[in-house]
Amino acid sequence: MRAYLIFVLRRFVQFLAVLFLAITAVFFITHLTPNDPVEQTLARINSGMANSPEVVAEMRRTLTELYGLQGSLWEQYVEYWQRMARGDLGPSLSAFPAPVTSLVARAAPWTAGLLVTSTVIAWTLGNLLGGLAGYYRQNRLLKAAEIAAMGLQPIPYYVLAFVLLILFGYVWPILPITGAYVMNRDLSFSLSLVLDVLRHSILPAVSLILVGIGGWFIGMRALVSNLVTEDYVLYAELGGVDRGRILRSYVMRNALMPQITGLAMNLGAIFSGTVITEEVYGYPGMGKLLVDGVNSGDYSLVLGVAVMSILGVAAAVFLVDILYPLLDPRVRLG
Amino acid sequence: MWSVARDLFRYNRGFAAGACILAVLIVYALLSLLSPYDPADAFVVPPDIPPGADFWLGTNSRGQDMFWILSVALRNTMLFGLAVAIVSRAVALTVGMMAGYFGGWVDRALTMLIDTFIAIPMFPVLVLFYFMIKDNLSWASLVLVMALLGWAYDARLIRSIALSLRTREFTRHAQFAGMGTRDILFEEHLPYVLPVLFSTTMNNMIWSIGLEITLAVLGFSDIDTPTIGTTIYWANQHSAMTTGTWWWILFPVAAVLLVFIGLFLLSVGMNEYIDPRSRLDRLRA
Amino acid sequence: MRTMRLFALALGAMLVSASALADDFLAGIPRKDVLIVENPEGTIKNPSWFNVWVPGTGGGWSTGLHQLAMDTFWYIDPEKGLDGAIDSSLASGPPEYNSDFTQMTVKLRDGIKWSDGVDFTADDVVFTVQEQIQHPGMTWSAPFAANVDTVTATDPHTVVFKLKAANSRFHAIFSVRWFGAWIMPKHIFEKVADPLKFDFNPPVGLGAYKLHSFDPNGNWYIWELRDDWKNSSMSMRFGQPKVKYVAYVYLGPPEKRSIEQANHNLDIIHDNTPEGILNLMKTSKSEHSWFEGFPYAHPDPTLPMVIFNDQNPKFQDPAVRWALTLMIDIKQVAMASYRGAATISAIASPPTGIANDVYEKPMQGWLKAFEIDTGKRKFKPYDPNVGKEIADSLRPSLGDAIPSAPDAIAKAIGYGWWKHDVKAAGELMEKAGYHKQDGKWVDKDGKPFTVELTVEDNARSVMTRAGSMIVQNWKAAGVDAKTVVVQNPFVNAFRPGTFEAGIGWSIETWGGHPDLSFFLLSWESQFVAKAGEPQPERNWQRWQNPELDQIIEAVKKIGFDDPKGTELGIQFMKLMVREMPIIPLMSYNVETSMDDTYWTGYPSIKNPYTNPVPNWANSRYMMERIQPKS
Repeated sequence: MRAYLIFVLRRFVQFLAVLFLAITAVFFITHLTPNDPVEQTLARINSGMANSPEVVAEMRRTLTELYGLQGSLWEQYVEYWQRMARGDLGPSLSAFPAPVTSLVARAAPWTAGLLVTSTVIAWTLGNLLGGLAGYYRQNRLLKAAEIAAMGLQPIPYYVLAFVLLILFGYVWPILPITGAYVMNRDLSFSLSLVLDVLRHSILPAVSLILVGIGGWFIGMRALVSNLVTEDYVLYAELGGVDRGRILRSYVMRNALMPQITGLAMNLGAIFSGTVITEEVYGYPGMGKLLVDGVNSGDYSLVLGVAVMSILGVAAAVFLVDILYPLLDPRVRLG
Repeated sequence: MWSVARDLFRYNRGFAAGACILAVLIVYALLSLLSPYDPADAFVVPPDIPPGADFWLGTNSRGQDMFWILSVALRNTMLFGLAVAIVSRAVALTVGMMAGYFGGWVDRALTMLIDTFIAIPMFPVLVLFYFMIKDNLSWASLVLVMALLGWAYDARLIRSIALSLRTREFTRHAQFAGMGTRDILFEEHLPYVLPVLFSTTMNNMIWSIGLEITLAVLGFSDIDTPTIGTTIYWANQHSAMTTGTWWWILFPVAAVLLVFIGLFLLSVGMNEYIDPRSRLDRLRA
Repeated sequence: MRTMRLFALALGAMLVSASALADDFLAGIPRKDVLIVENPEGTIKNPSWFNVWVPGTGGGWSTGLHQLAMDTFWYIDPEKGLDGAIDSSLASGPPEYNSDFTQMTVKLRDGIKWSDGVDFTADDVVFTVQEQIQHPGMTWSAPFAANVDTVTATDPHTVVFKLKAANSRFHAIFSVRWFGAWIMPKHIFEKVADPLKFDFNPPVGLGAYKLHSFDPNGNWYIWELRDDWKNSSMSMRFGQPKVKYVAYVYLGPPEKRSIEQANHNLDIIHDNTPEGILNLMKTSKSEHSWFEGFPYAHPDPTLPMVIFNDQNPKFQDPAVRWALTLMIDIKQVAMASYRGAATISAIASPPTGIANDVYEKPMQGWLKAFEIDTGKRKFKPYDPNVGKEIADSLRPSLGDAIPSAPDAIAKAIGYGWWKHDVKAAGELMEKAGYHKQDGKWVDKDGKPFTVELTVEDNARSVMTRAGSMIVQNWKAAGVDAKTVVVQNPFVNAFRPGTFEAGIGWSIETWGGHPDLSFFLLSWESQFVAKAGEPQPERNWQRWQNPELDQIIEAVKKIGFDDPKGTELGIQFMKLMVREMPIIPLMSYNVETSMDDTYWTGYPSIKNPYTNPVPNWANSRYMMERIQPKS
């Protein structure tokens, strides 16, 4: 037990180190962007009116001052950590003066809701089918499932999502194709809101599940077909243990370990959102925030989303690591 | 190695089918060298002609012959996916197996590196890179950036397998028998890692080609170089999805699909070769 | 397998029950009471921000806010207008300048109220100007600070601006072309400590509509007709709007707009791809656009062009610029960009609105006679038949949709353009000191003549498509050219000057008025930035010319409506033809389309009372003419 605690502690230090390294890396990468938020704002004002060039120069000066973009990169870096310590991600530069935290807080629940659900469903289905396909290799139904999973995965997601949209929004228009709820919807909690949100999430979720299954399927199938050659499986089979039980208790359990790692990491990574889903289905979320941020040179927004994402992934990795020895006793601590 | 491939081709129907599909695709991609048109040129043939005798795969709204455009696109995309996969596999395998086998501080240092790369969100970094290097955005630079971002997940997976192998009986036997680290890694451990490596290669190619398409759809790529991604980009610019020029979308998608089915069949065949129990399975069936 | 079956069952049940309980596209308001309009601004990043007087806040402008709730002195219509192209809105008449243009007096209309019932007075105007001068960083802070010495309300309906220097176009700041300096509600903002941090939610406006509800995630905004619409400057004169609610929505990629319009969930599409609008017109009976037939789209008074970075040594010789012009086959460019649905222009004026009558048509004779010296011969580069040839080539596939009367062709497709003459272009290249080597143009030292053409990403796909075609033309003529895709080139290439040539526009006009000051005043040579420094709007080509400066000086000295303005305009057009600092291509045709299922009475070429392109603040006049279908 003591050894385990030391292990956990050591892992935690590592987790903090990863956070520090990744955030530092992203801080400097985002600040290298050639896009300038001040110029973006200037372009927006001046596209609609005829300002004299002196006036434009004056605007540039005041905006730079307002956004607090003076100071060296190093000074900004130190200040960033000081702010981070207070849980403040700073003001967005393309939605000034709205704090980045408020933008992220608005988008995150939608992203999390859609992606956690569809990731978990895709993971469960993919592993179940993949495991079965790896074990019962001659089953025709499973072969068909294999071909379907294989065939769906490489279809460019944009195309798949759009085909679904055209099928169920135009050819046979039974599902909404835009947004997370209908226009003029009162967002206070009610049964009709829940149904509305569910209905709007069907197409985006199904599209994500369809492309998501294949990877898990192939991975699980490979792992299982590898494991069935292990001696203990062979012995169990020779010993007359029920095949279903072998699959459940011996094979799947062992094969699931790397898949659980994968799931945890995928769940950790959801915070950067899915740009194309959000773009195609007009679904609110972090992906669009991110691309908007990159396009408009809003590095404080990009950094804010990245920090969330880094936290999510690093935490998932940390949790998987400290739970691993508890699940797989063969792993020695050290 | 050659004889292995020959045997597989002879006795494993899946492998043979996969090899045939890929061979056809490669020949088709190589045909691009004979293309009568410069792939960057538009309006060289009448636009919007459905597939038929004159134009086998039809022509797109830019007045390009889909047969030739797709051939170039397929070549570029396959090369791209392959290059990313090879570079990133090399890194993943080295780092993952070393971390798993050595354990201790080496493992901790490498894991930290892996975790840092995993934690850095890929998409924004890629897009930011695009902005930084777009003036000399070359094929090689994009491959390198993608490969550097795409190895960490699999390194972790490989590490976890290597970690469990390390505590297994045969590793200890080999160590007692005086086998060198390099030999243990290559001869004893690699066979266990290979199936996963193949399946991750598949996934990596799906990932890199998928990401290339995503970037292209959003316009973050070199639109003058035909790839499956930029083909879809141009199709979107002309609303091909809703205006009835289905061949502009369907054929590129079918091409990617065939690439993956071919690769998948190959990797399954390879798996069965590496893993003798599967051969038994086949005999028994 | 059991889990599988359960899951499939659950999914099926969810689908069925959700569809059965399906809400409308819109909750709580009958569809027939709402005009649904596309907002092209995308998802609004900071949806609850309505303070338009602060820029860069992530708040939306064309969400209905500046079309329906804001107001200012004058609106200049890109078309004919409800009652003339210039509509005095909050002002009761045109601006009154003193003789040396150092003072402008504005008389205000009586009886206008803010949407919260407070009277609008001259104090609001004075406050608008003073507040923004006091708080640098607001949208109009800089232009007010640069121009206004003092502003006073001499009575509740009269405002006098004393200017720091003579400026015959000061009123342009308060004139809406797309948008203008909106008037602030003093009674709201005077209570706010820092106007730069104030979100102005809910907005209080002077327009005929007030905010009804909006999406906290920034995809839709719904506006409702004010009960006291009579107290708005527009409706007190033109009557009660028949549209009760207006919803501005963002739907995503163009294909989705087409789908939603075909499903009758979207009454006005802002912009589409040429293929998208052609397909809509072909497949749907209830859709129509500005032109009854080809090219359907509304030509905005903006001139897409090839912008040369004239500071680049490569493009300093007019012979080179002319050579590159003659290498372009405009018919192919029109085909590649707009599927032929372009309205081409050979001169530096968008071929829209009033420009056809004051510039394009009167200049035809001069253009036909115009000669350039290729170094070997005198050459007449103008081809007056291009418009007709494009129309003829489209007629076989599009039939009656293509106009056949010369005047209609000229309006819809354009008059003529420059000849596609690679031989003359070659002579000009030789005149400029280049020669051909292995089919490629090289300079004296044998270095290839290369051109990088900056184009925009898919945000404005037709422009990218035009650029790709031009590069292809140049390559065919032996120029080593390629395209470079840049997101928002105005910000990321033209402004910093990090481009060789690009597709964009440095010429935008009022549309409904021949005055060119909107872009021209910023073209003065003194404003051209040094290479490597950011260039302010709009002389992206960084072109300097003494004759240009003389024309600008002359324009500044005359009033807005002085007939001399048109003469100076023609002089400017001729200078631009001789020098070719930019290659004019066509008007910016916005592929706007309207659905007649619920509403009729949209503006069109037959009834051109305003611009239907719904992100223009001028499009508010549509609400006065749109009628319910039944």
